[in-house]
Amino acid sequence: MDTIRLYLHSMRMLIRSQLQYPISFFLQTLAQLVMEGGEMLAVILLVDRFEHLNQWGAGDLYFFFGLMSVTFYLTECFGRGITGNFPYLVRTGQLDTFLVRPRGVLTQVMCSAVDPRRITCIAVGGAALIIGSGMAAIEWTAAKVLLMAEAILCGSILILGLFMIEAIFCIYSVKSIELVNALTYGGRSACEYPIDTYPRPLRVLFTVFAPFALTLHVPGAWILGKPLFGWPEWAVWVSPVSGIVFFWVIWGCFQKAMRHYRSTGS
Amino acid sequence: MSYICVRDLEKRFVIREKRKKGALLREKKTVRALQEVSFDVDQGELLGYIGPNGAGKSTTVKILSGILTPDGGEVTVGGRVPWQERKEHVRQIGVVFGQRTQLWWDVPIRDSYDLLKDIYRISPEDYRTRLAELTEALQLGDLMRTPLRQLSLGQRMRAELCGSLLHRPELLFLDEPTIGLDAVSKLGLREFLQWENKQQGTTILLTTHDMEDIVALCPRVMVLGHGQKLFDGSLAALLGRYDTIRTVTVSYEEAEAAPELPSGIPVSREGKNLTITYSPDEYATAEMIARLQAAGTVRELTVQPQNIDRLVAAMYREMDL
Repeated sequence: MDTIRLYLHSMRMLIRSQLQYPISFFLQTLAQLVMEGGEMLAVILLVDRFEHLNQWGAGDLYFFFGLMSVTFYLTECFGRGITGNFPYLVRTGQLDTFLVRPRGVLTQVMCSAVDPRRITCIAVGGAALIIGSGMAAIEWTAAKVLLMAEAILCGSILILGLFMIEAIFCIYSVKSIELVNALTYGGRSACEYPIDTYPRPLRVLFTVFAPFALTLHVPGAWILGKPLFGWPEWAVWVSPVSGIVFFWVIWGCFQKAMRHYRSTGS
Repeated sequence: MSYICVRDLEKRFVIREKRKKGALLREKKTVRALQEVSFDVDQGELLGYIGPNGAGKSTTVKILSGILTPDGGEVTVGGRVPWQERKEHVRQIGVVFGQRTQLWWDVPIRDSYDLLKDIYRISPEDYRTRLAELTEALQLGDLMRTPLRQLSLGQRMRAELCGSLLHRPELLFLDEPTIGLDAVSKLGLREFLQWENKQQGTTILLTTHDMEDIVALCPRVMVLGHGQKLFDGSLAALLGRYDTIRTVTVSYEEAEAAPELPSGIPVSREGKNLTITYSPDEYATAEMIARLQAAGTVRELTVQPQNIDRLVAAMYREMDL
């Protein structure tokens, strides 16, 4: 409770400080809209040309796109401390400042940044979800809403875990941005489309190693009434938890790695 | 047992060096940043920690503040092992890094303090009294609503100090606090540190390259070089060992004054002014002054001990640092 209060207090302060530069803030928010709008346009063109991809119709594709966008950009908005700052904090030794305060490192990193400019990306994703839901004629039930919330939450936690890998590399002073980006931003771009459209190596990568398919596609497909892999209902509820497991493993690695943390300079 | 207790502290860093042939193969070199360092500090002490760049000062501070895990030895601060009980430990300490800010860049410093209040879980009453006290002592009243980025370096250091002392730490670490400050800011800062040490009983450990800081503040000084402790004691005792030169400047009323001095003492003359240098071990200063006065009417006379920075440089040289 206390931690949440600290997080909200930090967010208020960070947003106020970003609004110190209002024009820059406005323009960047607009730029985000153009960027994410472009991504959405790709799906629109695809649907316009092919009408369907395997068993997935236009509505389904919009829905999957929206699910990924909302999840990814909510994470980038509220978890900016981890998705944007964490490697930088480790590399420059700024993490020292957090280590000398009586709060968890993860709490403080989460409290160190917020990115409200992503609001436009989230809006685009939200629009895609609504359009997709309408076109695919989803009959919403309480269970489906709950499952979608679970998917978004677990997906976010998975994404935080993926970004944290880079911070671990930074402890050993290895530059690895490209490698990790393939999983984070690459994962986002790839998994805007349902997993079964990909060849086997990619399916394995995004199901077993970076389980976007388990956190987002399995519940998404069930909501659309076309269960993936022919899994039973209980498995659909369990599957997104893989995102939390993934995060937990990475967090464990990070804490182990921190023993080798060397800080920098004087 | 003393408040800070350090026994045989060891820290090694592995440095990877690029070898000429083959970009993938790197040679590893182990640097012993700290070797068997031991010392004790009692509560309420003000301890200066000096040594050339790369001696291991910051590494010691980082281990004592729980940032780094050592490779050997024992450390307790107030009975706690810093890196094992990090959260309990850091609640009782304050740290100011001279070149790294702990406040938030774009917001008024008062907003930063409000957030620190939540981070350290300071009660509202405690916060109010402590903030008022520090605001007055550090003269921050007019700056509270100014964003950190608009403060001068001196103002910023005061703001940092306030932030690191809000939770009333038992122990304060200062890493080169006077670096880059002007004379007025330096004097103000030293005065404040003395006040904090005396009035609040805060134990202060200070690393610096500015010997004036040590002269003004620290009854006890510790010298570190190549990761080893080389000296621990009073500043006077340290300087006594290397204090080997006196410089006397004298101005006479008449131009032709020529004092009789023992042979071998270098004399330089500039009109009516004479400068001589000698070792206080060989000649008593009183005798020198008597000889100078005997030669003519003295208008002005100053005796200077060796410049303290030179002393320290000589000391580092002799210690082969």
